[in-house]
Amino acid sequence: MNKPLLALALAFGIASVASVQAQTPAAASPAPAINDAQIAHIAYTAGVIDVTAAKQALQKSHNKAVRAFAEEMARDHAAVNDQALALVKKLGVTPQDNPTSQSLASGAADEQNKLAALSGSAYDKAYVANEVAYHKTVNGALSGTLIPSAQNAELKSLLETGLKLFQSHQMHAEHLAQSLK
Amino acid sequence: MLRTTMLLAGLLALTGGIAPASAVGKAKPTTQAHHVHVIVIDQMQYGPMPTDVRAGDIIEWTNKDILEHSATARDGHFDVDLKPGTSGRITATAGTLAFFCKFHPTMTGTLVVK
Repeated sequence: MNKPLLALALAFGIASVASVQAQTPAAASPAPAINDAQIAHIAYTAGVIDVTAAKQALQKSHNKAVRAFAEEMARDHAAVNDQALALVKKLGVTPQDNPTSQSLASGAADEQNKLAALSGSAYDKAYVANEVAYHKTVNGALSGTLIPSAQNAELKSLLETGLKLFQSHQMHAEHLAQSLK
Repeated sequence: MLRTTMLLAGLLALTGGIAPASAVGKAKPTTQAHHVHVIVIDQMQYGPMPTDVRAGDIIEWTNKDILEHSATARDGHFDVDLKPGTSGRITATAGTLAFFCKFHPTMTGTLVVK
């Protein structure tokens, strides 16, 4: 696993552990390790990162299948983030920055710099490989931490829909990675 | 009284007996209206494929997802764009209709039209 993804996994891992710790003395007050405002921020940040990566791919790649995948990522993640923004507005929640979001953003910036130095098929393979790993990690975080921790039913439902969509993205990325070998 | 009862029974026989018979007659394939078969799209999946679809029937895709999808024929015969919350239709032609979402190629469906 590359460094940014390791950082992401660690961040979510810590969140999971903290969540378990917080729930142990649950009888008194089952305060989750992360609140809905933070969860919304993490989910939104994760979407923005993938849109940014897709825009870079559309600038750099000449591979038709890779470009189609990047267009799918840009369109879908923007659409889900629009839904997320509409929901937080409706709920009167202000997404709250947090260490996991910050770790995600800095890891993504590092990855983008690495990818910027590549070109041609080396770039295509690296971009798609990162998309496989990124979706795997984000989906793991959604199912393991974010969805179980979400308190608001509508937020939980949107995250669950997002998970279905991103699992499909992961599958598409895996097929694409196979075809680029 | 008896005459009234017999008259009523006769009327019932006329309305209850003859009317359904004519309704059955209308259901024969020659005059049958074309059916509308709905395929619901939700959470990146086409729902169950309709069965017993006949040429001339309507196939309708309803997109309940939060993303834009399409029903695009593999053979290029149709390409229905489906924004979130909208529906689109085609008239079925006999054969096997294989389609996919041009925005999400992992979404596929196959329909047999008799």
